[in-house]
Amino acid sequence: MSPLVLALLVGAGLFGIGLYGALSQTNLVMIMMGIELMLGGALVNLVAFWRYLHPDVYSGQVFVLVVMTAMAVEMAVGFAVGIARFRARGSVEMEEAVDLKG
Amino acid sequence: MSGPLLLLTMISGVYLLAVLEEWSATGRLSLSTPVVRGLAQLSRESLVPRKPDRLLFELAPALLLLAALLAAAVLPLAPGLMAVDLATGALFVNAALAYVMVALVMAGWAPDAAYALIGGWRFLGQLIAYSMLIVMPLTAVAMRAQSLSTTDIAASQAVLWNVLTQPLGFVLFWLAAMALAFVPPFDLPVALGELAGGVFAEYTGVRLAILRLARLVLVLTLALAIVVFFLGGWLGALLPGWAWTGVKTLAVAALMLAAGRYVPRLSPDALLEWAWKLGIPLALVNIVWVGITLLAVSK
Amino acid sequence: MIAAPGQTVALVVFGASALGFGVAVFRTKSMVRSALALLGSMSAVGGLFLALETEFLGVLQLMMMATEMTIMAIFMVMFMMDPGGLGQMDMTHQKRAAVTAGVVGGLIAVALSALPSWAAVVVAAPAPSVQLHDLGIELMSRSMLIFETAGLAILVAMIVATTIALAEKQP
Repeated sequence: MSPLVLALLVGAGLFGIGLYGALSQTNLVMIMMGIELMLGGALVNLVAFWRYLHPDVYSGQVFVLVVMTAMAVEMAVGFAVGIARFRARGSVEMEEAVDLKG
Repeated sequence: MSGPLLLLTMISGVYLLAVLEEWSATGRLSLSTPVVRGLAQLSRESLVPRKPDRLLFELAPALLLLAALLAAAVLPLAPGLMAVDLATGALFVNAALAYVMVALVMAGWAPDAAYALIGGWRFLGQLIAYSMLIVMPLTAVAMRAQSLSTTDIAASQAVLWNVLTQPLGFVLFWLAAMALAFVPPFDLPVALGELAGGVFAEYTGVRLAILRLARLVLVLTLALAIVVFFLGGWLGALLPGWAWTGVKTLAVAALMLAAGRYVPRLSPDALLEWAWKLGIPLALVNIVWVGITLLAVSK
Repeated sequence: MIAAPGQTVALVVFGASALGFGVAVFRTKSMVRSALALLGSMSAVGGLFLALETEFLGVLQLMMMATEMTIMAIFMVMFMMDPGGLGQMDMTHQKRAAVTAGVVGGLIAVALSALPSWAAVVVAAPAPSVQLHDLGIELMSRSMLIFETAGLAILVAMIVATTIALAEKQP
């Protein structure tokens, strides 16, 4: 099995675990952990593709930087929304966030 | 270079730093103090709190020591005398030192004690304050060297040291390094009077010895980083390169440890306010200044 | 062509630890341990990047993830009533759907990875200092628009997050 396929399998595994976590957890922070794992899997795939298929074109690495930026931005805004929700309702459980009002 | 030689250098540097710290604290200069105190500490009883998070409790001192050693591994003592020569050395120093914060948060959380927990989270707030001020002067330094490799950065100061061409960056990096090593006046996580010892309070015996050793290694590593990035590394007349590095590093480390005795501790909100409202604009001004001078010099 | 065997071994080790830590994130009851297990997984991914000779990306990943995951840990302790996980409460919902989605998604990704016949695996990657230099040139010339947009997005996110998180002014 070529190292490219091994790295892609790692990315696939991280994606599956992240998807399970994002769907099964009730807490906002745990859902975000699942999303971080999925994005981590995508990063692994990007780096593997860069390294083994096109090591001379740096668009792959720029894409990785953009995904890392998106991870940081998503976390910042997500936690800010979590703080606002916690102040309004006292919890960040997604099971309780079913009404539009408030 | 050879691993054992570098390890021996690190151990002797830490030993001398402990002697200097004892001298600045009590006024007594005695070369046997670290051995005596170290043996005394190791022989003390090792208590474990009632319901700790055992895994994190054991892991925190080891991670603190590992983070400091990893950061020291990419800093050159002389051309070619370093453990690992990474092309992104300056950034790797920053990455390794980020795990200092992880270790202290673990040490704060694990013992299931109130003051330790507060100390750990206060260090996270301190990280928000110093983290930008560590990276931005490094950016300016890398601009002059046109490389992130620590050897190149030290060699680029052959004409004039960075402390003279980028004084603002030097001051900011020094203060941020003091905050990273949680030496007074930035010792929020281990505040003696305020938090009853904070993060270190629940550790005893062997683990406390490792924590104290890790703190000394961290101070020495940061002093070495200041010397390599701003004070010319191994450059200097008469003495061989590694001797200059040793002298400069010990001087910087002793100054870092001694300066805090005369300044009161900053409260967390004051620290954050000064760092973000004054420190970061100054760091940006420093980057612009370095850019202008580099363009002017290259003309 | 096959790559250096050391690289494949490092890839397998880091990949397995990333997956192991990822599973541990959702199996442990303690919230802080979850966050630190996620840090372990992301650090293993950073180590994977270093093994795949993208030195800058690996170091960047290690640096960013340490801070991000610890901030996740403090948010857990702030928001949850039982951050130590001693209460044995089950904090999950729609378990069967989640497991099915995870397994199906993972299998689709595995199939897309293993079934196609990829081009011949190239062996030589540029040296780290050359990569760093060329990545900088790429960011500053061809991908400048992307770079600036990312910077602007971070600035906007900082302003947005600070504004949302500020407490409402007391009248």
